[in-house]
Amino acid sequence: MKKTSKWLLALMLVLLLALAACGGDSDSDSSDKGTEDKKSEKTAEGNKDGIFSIEDFSMTKTNEGEAIEGGELTYGVVASSAFAGTLNYNFYSDAYDYEFIAWFDEPLFDSDINYTYTNDGAAEYEVSEDGLTFTLTIKDGVNWHDGEPVTAEDWAFAYEVIGHPDYVGIRYGSDFENVVGMAEYHAGEADTISGIEIVDEKTLKITHKTTGPSMLAGGIWPYALPKHLLGETPVAEMPESKWVRETPIGMGPYKVESIVPGESVTYVKNEDYWRGEPQLDKVTAKIISPSTVINALETGEVDMVDSFPTDQFVDAADMSNVEWLGMIDNAYTYIGFKLGKWDADKGENVLDPDAKMADVNLRKAMWHAVDNDAIGERFYNGFRWSGTTLIIPFFSEFHDSSIETPTYDPEEAKRILDEAGYEDKDGDGFRETPEGEELVINFASMEGGDTAEPLANYYIQAWGDVGLKVELVDGRLLEFNSFYDRLEADDSAFDIYQGAWGTGTDVNPEGIHGLNSFANYTRYTNEELDQLHLDGNSNEAFDLDYRKQVYSDWQQHMADNIPLFPTLYRSVLVGVNNRVINYSMDPASDLRRYDIGVTQEAPVVAE
Amino acid sequence: MWKFSVRRTLIMIPQLIVLSILIFVLAQLMPGDALSGQVGPDVDPKRLDEIREQMGWNDPWYEQYASWMGGVLQGDLGQSFRFKIPVTELIGQRIYNSFWLSVATLILTYLIAIPLGITSGRFNDTWRDQLITGYTYVGFATPLFIFALVMLWIFGFALGWFPTSGSVSPGLVPGTFEYFMSKLYHLLLPAISMALITTYSTIQYLRNEIVDTKQKDFILTARAKGASETRVYNRHILRNSLLPIAAFFGFEITGLIGGSIFIENIFGYPGMGQLLVESITLRDYTTLIATTLIFGVASILGALLSDITLSIVDPRIRIK
Repeated sequence: MKKTSKWLLALMLVLLLALAACGGDSDSDSSDKGTEDKKSEKTAEGNKDGIFSIEDFSMTKTNEGEAIEGGELTYGVVASSAFAGTLNYNFYSDAYDYEFIAWFDEPLFDSDINYTYTNDGAAEYEVSEDGLTFTLTIKDGVNWHDGEPVTAEDWAFAYEVIGHPDYVGIRYGSDFENVVGMAEYHAGEADTISGIEIVDEKTLKITHKTTGPSMLAGGIWPYALPKHLLGETPVAEMPESKWVRETPIGMGPYKVESIVPGESVTYVKNEDYWRGEPQLDKVTAKIISPSTVINALETGEVDMVDSFPTDQFVDAADMSNVEWLGMIDNAYTYIGFKLGKWDADKGENVLDPDAKMADVNLRKAMWHAVDNDAIGERFYNGFRWSGTTLIIPFFSEFHDSSIETPTYDPEEAKRILDEAGYEDKDGDGFRETPEGEELVINFASMEGGDTAEPLANYYIQAWGDVGLKVELVDGRLLEFNSFYDRLEADDSAFDIYQGAWGTGTDVNPEGIHGLNSFANYTRYTNEELDQLHLDGNSNEAFDLDYRKQVYSDWQQHMADNIPLFPTLYRSVLVGVNNRVINYSMDPASDLRRYDIGVTQEAPVVAE
Repeated sequence: MWKFSVRRTLIMIPQLIVLSILIFVLAQLMPGDALSGQVGPDVDPKRLDEIREQMGWNDPWYEQYASWMGGVLQGDLGQSFRFKIPVTELIGQRIYNSFWLSVATLILTYLIAIPLGITSGRFNDTWRDQLITGYTYVGFATPLFIFALVMLWIFGFALGWFPTSGSVSPGLVPGTFEYFMSKLYHLLLPAISMALITTYSTIQYLRNEIVDTKQKDFILTARAKGASETRVYNRHILRNSLLPIAAFFGFEITGLIGGSIFIENIFGYPGMGQLLVESITLRDYTTLIATTLIFGVASILGALLSDITLSIVDPRIRIK
């Protein structure tokens, strides 16, 4: 009897806990709903379903009040892992490292709304008549944090290091090979790069093999490397040297004071900054886990974040102490169709006319069959929305919104398929090929996050609704690494796939769609397209209107031929504490990092 | 005992060799490498192939193993591709954090477990015992990662008593008293969270042992001789009941080095557990192999230590 009662007590305790936990849950649920309701009343969007539009967000922080002297700011880098700590533009490959570098170092060129270099930065450029030779001049007063001037030699040194046979970073590539003499230097056949000439202490002349507007969007390496500090270090050991990891040196508005490896970096004002004295005395940048970022913003633990996870925005929208800024992201999700193979010997993509997806009508019908706006609203609260062309609206001057692309219309999809001869002849509910063979389309999609699975299922269902039998490759979602391994190897089990691209800031699409691009995973090629790639990055294309026309034609070509179609455009959100002023994400803005200031000593805390 | 220890140590050598080959081959078999999915408009795929060649990733596994093993024997665990520093340096940074976190957890665990276990065992089947057993069941049933998140929310954010991420406040100079206090302050909440949950097994072991020992004949004898109740418990019962805990201690050492994957990720505390997860997802082979190998060595050493402690504490156990 006694024993039973003891067990009973234990059981009761456990049940009590379970009940308490449930109670807690429903509590937080209802309060969630409460905040959602409040938010929809409060925010300007006025949307009742918790659906937002990035167009309603400003890119620039509203300024209330004056900056105080001696302000301090905490900057959160949202990441679930430590940062690698390779704190130099020439060596880093981890995106989080970039966020830490950007406070203390900067490119020598400033850029405009199209992310094209201008002469407003620390250096100026002049182009020769044929567009091949660039004369680069570093302005006076641009100094490293130790007071030494940034020289032409430092800039050339960056080229020498990245091109060096012992360099192990990922930065070396066709942009560097484009410099005359670089290939020989990289192969170890030459001791110097013949195309780089140091004219005087502040002037550098670089001669290239080909030219085009991409030269001004990353084609010229805009970062210098302090030769007076790293000159003696062997190239292979540079990434682990103290000038990169412990006491990194740049020319930006703040100087590194101390580093906690993987966690945080503190900076102090660089009074000698070439643009003028920065507003803040001290900046702390630190890693913030995505699971705690809302609380960190609410309590003022961080004043702002590099990028707020949009899927959590519904729970954060009504925060009283934070202003939300947003812009279109330089990335998109897409569905690609495997249309050929990579020929490694020729270094070219080769179309396969017999590929399963070779019929453009089939591809077009598949685009018509899916409702991406609904996906954007249901899964992403409207922070992702249906894509149209492949030059995304991030490139606001080049994205051509007048081009008509297939929209959600299942009836139209069925009509196209009927007309093209895809009919259900054996009555199993799915269409066969015009030749009467069974058609099963294998769809490769990656795992990751809560949405990957329902999303893939939705697509399969939507295509099933228009009579196309689509199945997941291997019957499941694929792990990131094996997905890319098989995609790159043109695995014949992949007919279509869902992927995503970050576009960088160079509008030129050749890097991911070109004839010679390995990253062109659909393997689609076309002579007209090759010509457009050449025209878009030719000497004539320095003329903005001409280039716009070329890229408009390019978008039309891709919309007509559909080797891939963009499913979702994306957005970036940034939460900024009310006390922070002079901050903007807008590429066209004149505000720079050194302008950022705060209006009061302590962060504003949520009410 | 010396003979026993030496023999155990000798057996470890083939164990370690097999372990290292196994880990190495399994790591190689994973799809992709550190450069998978890095292709993009800014990165030249030819460059990636060049790096793969330069790093020797295209060589057959036995050649890579041989060159790696050669380094290991000289104390060089290789270069981390992601962090671009020697793995030994990287692990040095992390193991330090994990170690102190685990020491704190261990101390807290015993601080909680020993009094509770004794009370529970001594007064078994009273309301006190039932309350404590109830707690251990709750601890057993609560998933660590949920409990840790709740603790973080209550004490980190709602009350603001503890820092919510990192292992030290930014901007302090290592070696100073403030730095030390900041470190301690940062590891307190994760350590308490983990101790509160993981302590249940120790309490249960201790309680069961005490209840068991209580009924043994020699206790009866002690009581018959007129020893006071306190003396019976402290001198006779407790000493005999601590055996299984002593045996467990060696395995706790493994935890000291391994850290906790959940706790470290939730509290953004950069230790070995977090490093392991990162190196797997990013295919940082050298780091991955080195960390798994260290965990393997730690478990083997832990088992050895357990056996040795047991043979010291309990003279009855002597392996011939």
